[in-house]
Amino acid sequence: MAQIRLKNVSKRWNKFIGVDNFNLDIADQEFLVLLGPSGCGKTTTMRMIAGLEDITEGEIWIGDRMVNKLEPKDRDISMVFQSYGLYPNMTVYENIRFPLKVRKVPKEQHHERVMAASKMVELDDFLERRPAALSGGQRQRVALARAIVREPNAFLMDEPLSNLDAKLRVSTRAQIKNLHHTLKRTTVYVTHDQIEAMTLADRVVVMNKGVVQQVGTPMEIYDRPANTFVASFIGSPAMNLVSGSIENGVFSSDGIRIEGLPHRASGAVTLGFRAEDATLAEANGQIEAPIYTVELLGEATMLSMRVAGELVSIKVGKDYRAEIGELARIAIPASACHIFDQSTGARIEA
Amino acid sequence: MSEAMAHKRPTLLNAFIYGFIVLWLVLAAVPFLWTVWGSFKVEADFFSRESWWNAIFGTATIRETGAAFTGDGYYGAWITRDFWKAAFNTIIVTICVTSISLTLGTLGGYALARSGKNYAFWILIAALVFRAMPHITLVSGYLLPFFQLNIWGVLPTSIIVLVAINQPFTLWMLHSFFLSIPKDLDESAMVDGCTRFQAFRLVIMPVMWPGVVTTGLFSFLLGYNDFAVTAMLLSADNQTMVPKISSFLGSIQETGNVMFAVAAVVSATVPLFILVLFFQRQIVSGLTAGAVKG
Repeated sequence: MAQIRLKNVSKRWNKFIGVDNFNLDIADQEFLVLLGPSGCGKTTTMRMIAGLEDITEGEIWIGDRMVNKLEPKDRDISMVFQSYGLYPNMTVYENIRFPLKVRKVPKEQHHERVMAASKMVELDDFLERRPAALSGGQRQRVALARAIVREPNAFLMDEPLSNLDAKLRVSTRAQIKNLHHTLKRTTVYVTHDQIEAMTLADRVVVMNKGVVQQVGTPMEIYDRPANTFVASFIGSPAMNLVSGSIENGVFSSDGIRIEGLPHRASGAVTLGFRAEDATLAEANGQIEAPIYTVELLGEATMLSMRVAGELVSIKVGKDYRAEIGELARIAIPASACHIFDQSTGARIEA
Repeated sequence: MSEAMAHKRPTLLNAFIYGFIVLWLVLAAVPFLWTVWGSFKVEADFFSRESWWNAIFGTATIRETGAAFTGDGYYGAWITRDFWKAAFNTIIVTICVTSISLTLGTLGGYALARSGKNYAFWILIAALVFRAMPHITLVSGYLLPFFQLNIWGVLPTSIIVLVAINQPFTLWMLHSFFLSIPKDLDESAMVDGCTRFQAFRLVIMPVMWPGVVTTGLFSFLLGYNDFAVTAMLLSADNQTMVPKISSFLGSIQETGNVMFAVAAVVSATVPLFILVLFFQRQIVSGLTAGAVKG
């Protein structure tokens, strides 16, 4: 049983704010992903949970213990580092065994547990090699095996996939998801890759500049982004954001006019919609603009056009063909639109 | 392939290249080989005023001892003039200097490399200043207090002074070796269940060996070759090899003393050769690769 609780946690270096007033309860067995661009404080947050970084303010609880003053070794967590952090002078077997050894787990259990952990990540054939003789993916699996061999209360993973190539990333990602399902441990996972966040997480925390932007399930974050930062960070391509004004439920700007929006908003706003929510219009579309580029993706075709000074992307059927400069009419259902306050960027609820 | 390349080069350039290598070899090796050869002659040959060919053929050596080579210089130095005692003192001094500097240097270098505090930088700068000072400045300042405290002339005193001179260098060198070891290693060790010191001992030190061996060799050489400190701070009975050799040269009223010095020089150099040959792989990897890439 290990829920992790962060209460008003802050990290400052002199005047620079790394993490500002972070509050979060992570449930037992939850897979939580900290997501954000580099320098947003996600790794710092994880390092504070691990005990590798001092906490300037606030409290961190793991289970029913406040761990602020505890050494990393006393927090009963294990961590997977981005650069693996394998011990180069030890074999794979010794690497995996190391946590058992330093924690004085009875010797007769070592072999069995090392073999179980290495089997889980399919490393059985490499146990006598040294890390230098392994590929990146194999090294990362050694790091995973070393983390799970001890069966700690919680796993922390710091961008574990970012040094792997695209194909390996997908299979290792699946492996991590499966490990979490099998081991049922609280997991905190740091990444800047929104796909990893969407596929792995029970809940996602989106951070920017040390501040939490939104906490929610992947679908909540995708469907109801709390502000323009989250909207533009999640999704590929990013959500289209167009500034304009709204009056009596009608949003209008240069080259775009959408009716039937909620009446609560008025004045200058930013309107957001996703590329896949837009469709080609038969007659009167919400957008009428010349095509800027046509990109063939294989499973779909991506159109972009300039609306109110911004390039917006529209995903259309894979057989659609058009010339650059041709006029296109695009339909955007009002229900698929998100409205954000133009000055604060915060979502305005319907 | 290198042969093929050598063929393509113009003959003149080749001649120049090989000529330069031969010249360099002569400059580097001949003085030492000459000394080794001469140490088996008598003074009248090795320092002959008639012809330097005497040193090669040993004319006077044959006249005085009946053979072209003689071990008289070695016998005189090692047995008659107690050079063995100086050699023994040198062993004590170098072992102590090396082990003390390495112990303090690894601990201090690790702490400085991982501290991240501003003062770590200033400590290193201060160390650099002390490293830059001529050794003799430390010694002259110490002389009076050492007389007053009555600790002048004994080995421990000069060991302490040599460590003080050597420590800034070992600290710098080991510090940069530690910097080349990724911080992730310490951190994963600490999450895996180590204290800071266990992480240092079980994870970092095993990776650090090339660095420790290289730094250790330099410390060893400093202790072994030192003249300024040991000549000033050791009494005649406690001398190490280098000041002892110098004292052979200095007292020229006795004949044969110069040859004692020559024999002693050769005796003092041989262990260095063996040492460097023995550790050359570690030294090279330590000097070039830093330590280990993560």
